[in-house]
This record gives sequence, C-alpha cells and structure tokens, in this order.
Amino acid sequence: MKRASLCWLACAAGVLGAALVCAATGRPAPPSAAGSGKAGEAIYRKGVLPSGAPLIGERESGGTVEGVDAACIRCHRRSGLGVLEGRGSSIPPISGPYLFKPRTHDDNELPFVEAMRAERDPYTEETLARAIREGIAANGRPLGYLMPRFALDDAAMAELIAYLKVLTPRRMPGVTDTELHFATVITPDADPVKRTAMLDVLTQYFSDKNAAYRNTAPRLKSGRPVMFRVTRRWQLHVWELSGAADTWEAQLAAHLAKEPVFAVISGIGGRSWAPVHRFCERAGLPCLMPNVDLPDAAPDDFYTVYFSRGVLLEAELIAHDLAARSQKAQRIGLLFRVGDIGEQAAAAFSAAMGASGATVVSRRLPAHGGDLRGALGGPGPVDAWVLWLRPDDLTALALAQLPPPAGSLYVSGLMGELEQAPLPESWRPATRMPYLFDLPDQRRVRLDYQLGWFTARKIKVSSLRIQSDTFLACGLLAETISHMVDAFQRDYLVERLDDNIEHRILTGYYPRLSLGIGQNFGSKGGYLVHFSEPKGVKLARDSEWIVP
Amino acid sequence: MYLHSGLKPTRPARLVRPVAGLCLGIALGICGARADAPATGQPATTDRFRVSTFAYQVPAVRLVRDDGKGVLLSDELDDGRAVFLNFIFTSCTSVCPLSSQNFSDFERELGAERARVHLISISIDPEQDTPARLRDYARKFHAGPEWQHYTGTQAASVAAQQAFGTFRGAKMDHTPVTLVRVAPGKPWVRVDGLMTAAELLQLYRSLLAHG
Repeated sequence: MKRASLCWLACAAGVLGAALVCAATGRPAPPSAAGSGKAGEAIYRKGVLPSGAPLIGERESGGTVEGVDAACIRCHRRSGLGVLEGRGSSIPPISGPYLFKPRTHDDNELPFVEAMRAERDPYTEETLARAIREGIAANGRPLGYLMPRFALDDAAMAELIAYLKVLTPRRMPGVTDTELHFATVITPDADPVKRTAMLDVLTQYFSDKNAAYRNTAPRLKSGRPVMFRVTRRWQLHVWELSGAADTWEAQLAAHLAKEPVFAVISGIGGRSWAPVHRFCERAGLPCLMPNVDLPDAAPDDFYTVYFSRGVLLEAELIAHDLAARSQKAQRIGLLFRVGDIGEQAAAAFSAAMGASGATVVSRRLPAHGGDLRGALGGPGPVDAWVLWLRPDDLTALALAQLPPPAGSLYVSGLMGELEQAPLPESWRPATRMPYLFDLPDQRRVRLDYQLGWFTARKIKVSSLRIQSDTFLACGLLAETISHMVDAFQRDYLVERLDDNIEHRILTGYYPRLSLGIGQNFGSKGGYLVHFSEPKGVKLARDSEWIVP
Repeated sequence: MYLHSGLKPTRPARLVRPVAGLCLGIALGICGARADAPATGQPATTDRFRVSTFAYQVPAVRLVRDDGKGVLLSDELDDGRAVFLNFIFTSCTSVCPLSSQNFSDFERELGAERARVHLISISIDPEQDTPARLRDYARKFHAGPEWQHYTGTQAASVAAQQAFGTFRGAKMDHTPVTLVRVAPGKPWVRVDGLMTAAELLQLYRSLLAHG
C-alpha cells in the first residue's frame, strides 16, 4: 500500500485551536481563519463556489465532475474521516489534523479511522492548495487517480481550507473517557405495553454490555485498530416526553442540555414521530432505528435511520398490488381514523394511485367512536377497500358481524398487528395484508438467538416485533461503535452504520438490511400475504418480495 | 493505488475457469500503458488494472432493464453485439462514477462503431436502484442507446455478480471490474481495476483484430 500513502495531504500548526468543543450540540466550532465557514462548507458539501458557480473537478485520466458530484463530501464523507470503499480503494480522512498535524513518534494522538494512512507527510496550507489544484501530495508525488483536480481561486481555497480545519474531530457530548451516553425517546402516545417491552430489552442490553467493562484497562489512545480495547461503559437515558406534540422539540432540547448524549438509540412512538425526527436532524444527533410505524424522512436528512418506511411503504405495496391485478378497481375506499397514522398512509396511497385513473374515496372515522358500519356502507359503489385500522376496530367489525365488502380487500399489517390481527373470520380468506418482514417460518432461524437471549435474561416477550427490533438496534449500535474504535464523532457514527449494516446476517424480522449515502431506511420492500386458515396465525404469500 | 505490480490475482468464483494462462493483453500488445508495467512475460498489470481471460457460464438471471422491461441477462449478452459489462450502484461515490465516466467516454469515442457494442451496467444495490433512479444515473453520464442499466431482485443481482466472480458480499466491498466479450461464444476478457476510455478502445480494437 505504498502508493496509498501518496494521497496524504499536509500540515500547519495551530489547527487544533479550531477544535473548540461546542458542548450543547456537538456541531463544529466557528473557523479560525478566512470567512464564516459557510462558504467553505458550501464547497465541501454542495460543490458550490463562493461565486455561486458549480465546483468543477477534472481527473487525470479524463472526465469532469461538477457541482454536487464534485463536492468533497461525496468521497471524503460528511465527517471528513474518509472511507474504505471497494477493498483497497481507500479515501483518506481530510479533517484538519489528519492533514496538518505534524507526525510524531507513534502518531497516536489522532483517533484511528479505517482509511487513515500509516505513513503520511503533513501538509501546509500551500502544499494542500497544490494538492487540490494539481494533484501533488505533500511529499511531491501524485495523488491517487480517484482524486480530481480543482481550479479553486485563492479566496475559495482559503474558505475550503478553513472549513477542513473546522472539521476537526472534537470531544462529543455524551462521550467521556469512561462512558458513552445514549438516550432513548418515548412519546406519550406510545402503546404502554410496547413501551415496557422495549425498555426491558434496552436496559438489559446495556447491563450486559457493561458487565464486560474492564475499568482497569487504560483509555485507548491508538494509531492502530485495536477494537477490543474500547472499554467505555454505556449509559442509557430514558427521555419520556409528555403533553402536546408541538412541545416535544423543546422538551428534547431540555433533555439534551441536561443529559448530553452521543446518539439516540431505539425509542418508541405512537401517532407522530415527526417532532423527534426534526429535533434530531436540527441538533445533529443520530437517531437510530426507533420503533416507529410512520417515519418522516426528507431526502437530505442524514441523522435519522429507520428499519423501514412503515405504513408509507404499505400504502405503496397495496397500490402496486392493485395495479398488478387483472381486474382493475375503479373506486377504492380508504377507511382510517383522523389523527392516526392511517391518515397519512391513506394520503400516500392516494398519491401512489395518482396516475391509475381510479377514484379514491376517503372515509374518515373520528379519533374515537364513530360508525364503522356506516363508513363501510356509505354512498356510491366501491370495488376495493383499504382499511387502516387498529386491532380494536378490527374486533369491532367482528362483533358487529359485518360481512366482508365485495371486491378486493386490504388491511394494514403494521396497524392491525400482523398475523395477530383480529380480522373477522369471514373476512380472512379475502383480505390481503402488506407484510414488511419475512414470514414467521422464514425468520424463525434469525430470531432463535434473540428468543434464547430473552429467555435467559428472563425478559417477558410481550411484543415480539418491538423487542426483536430493539435488540437488533442495540446489536447494530454495538457493532458500529466497535468499528469506530476511538473516533467518536456523530457524523462518523452514521457513516459507519451506513457502510457496515449490510454485513449483518442476523437481521431479525427483515430479510436483509442495507443503507448507503442518502438512504434512511434499512429494509425497502415487503410481501402481500393472506391468512391461509380460518383461525390462527398462519400466513401465505400472494407475492414475491416487492420493492415498489 | 488499487492494484499493484506483484499483487496476487484474486481467484474468481467457482463458476469461473481460466482458459488462458498468459495475459491476453500482452499477447495483443495492449499492456504497458504505464511506465511501471512489466515489459513481457508477466501478467499484464499496471498500477490501475490487470487483464485476464475467462470462460464464464452465465446462469438464467432475470433482470429489470432501465426502461422497466423484464429481461433475461443471457438475452441481453447474446444479442450479437460486443459486450462491455460492469457493476455499479447509484449511491456509490468513488469508483462507480469513474467507471461510468469511462463507459461514457468510450461510447462517445466509438463514434459510428457504437452500434456494434452493447454496454451493460448492472446495479449491485438493486432495491435502492429503481429503473427511474437508473435512468437518472444514465442521463448524468449521457448514456446513448447502446448503454443500458439493469436492476432486479437482490438475488438476481447477486447471481449476476457471482456468474462473473465479482460478488464481494456487500456493496461497499465492491471492486471495479469491466468484462468484455467481442462476440457470443468468444471468451470473456476481465479487466480488474479501471481502464480509461482510450485503453478500453485499444482493448476492443485488439480483440477485434486478434479475437
């Protein structure tokens, strides 16, 4: 890997001065050099020059990259800590000290990151500018072929270099020499049984994790990958929200100020998770794999990772299935309760059906009560129904002895509790359910270890999916943390999770999990299923795995 | 940076059987593009690529082309044209854009000859890379009518990767590989690493002349 060291960019003193800790948010400190840092950030993240023109890079081998495709973030990542991609094609870290810090005897003051170079010549601002413009490393040799050359003028170069210094790894909130602090978030509308089920797993996992803590081991200071020596104790903070959803963000800010944490792990929501999501994105706080059936990620969101798109994915699966049927539905009825997650799922369904030519009729029930029979029997013929209903309402259908409506019939798996859904017996043969997981028989092997762990730890299994997902989230966090070695940066946590999640074999309820740049959902598809027997929980598939 | 002189070749998957001990590139005089490449008698290895030859057996794999149509990989490969095949994913930020840029430049440099080649790019992140995403990606690289992108089920993508000995388990572990076959029935020339468009063109011409 001698050639790999050629990519190394070089050094100037005083960089660490920029490494001010911004304790409240963990966000970068303001730059010490030229400009506000915003212009450098725009070059780094968006490929936009201070003039507003797109950044243009040219590769030695030919080919031009422009704008966002030329932005530093594309390869060196948001953290600036680089990445190993493609076994041997390694993108080096370019956050300040990895460029500028003079090489010391064992170079162990820089946190180890996988893509860092064992041998490096530190840069000065002048040699770094030469590297960016001409592709010449600090030691005078050419940079790797993946690195484009950028014709930045002096002002833009100064802004970019100032930003690279801002990118310096810093002590993050929630990270001490001996502890890593995490929070889990519980919204007041979360199901109390599921809340307890999740907390049982989380607290036991943290307790198990700390049982192996060796407080006599020295703090890791390493220029080498010695993963097993990371010995920080894990501390869990339970942030229980209360009151109206529009007060949650302020509550979360108060929690974070009082109990600084490195990341949010798991959590449980009810009808709305959007305020928690927004808070995490604004605070730059990773929020990893909460138990939420209505996630709310926008395309540029970075810090929030969910197992799946929940009921929004269900809506698209149902639309996909209706489109594939030989007999097209002309009028489709949607039944949901105002304020529940089915309302937004219904909107997503309508959007997915947009170009089909079918008429979508929404039948709203109030948040509580209302006339189920009347809603189903309302005016006008309907030849397909989609029910976004909770178990209580499905039970009410059975109690009212309502016959199944004619035509195609779908019921939300997530809202109805999957194979436990208390559908009326007469409805079961005709009803299809989107199912975002492997079927029970398919996933059994992957769940065996978890079930054994729950039994051995005397954890009551009251909500298997929630507990399985929580255990999986904890396992993924532990693996990701071990890959970080000692470089505890929030952006780097998300990047390591994105890159490594695909290696996971025991993926609980999900056939597989995969993330990547710009991806917020680990599992991306689902099946359509129906009950194969009049009673019980046996399911049969109506489709292959569909990714709509 | 990626491949070096002296690096041992990675053994391709079980389906792969080497049919030529010596580098085809050497035989055709296309190696030595870089000053540090060996002169003769050794595998054609530059610091950017290595060329070798294999007889791959392609199993029945059903893919979805970027126009949304379901196709058999073997039908796409055996349409009579010369095939240039690589594996990409649209959220890849380092090697894939470069590989795709090389395909784009190659396609342009072919000029009128382009009608005789079929460029095939198969996604290794198929659940993310929908046909619509692939079309956007293709547009970014100005893909012409002879260059198609393919997605499908995860299993189909893995089967296609395994058929050509490029499957590495997870997309972030991928390596740049280009596979070239001048006509159905001819052996596959495998390029591990990245060839520029000019080098691809040189390889193509050599294969046409000698293959």
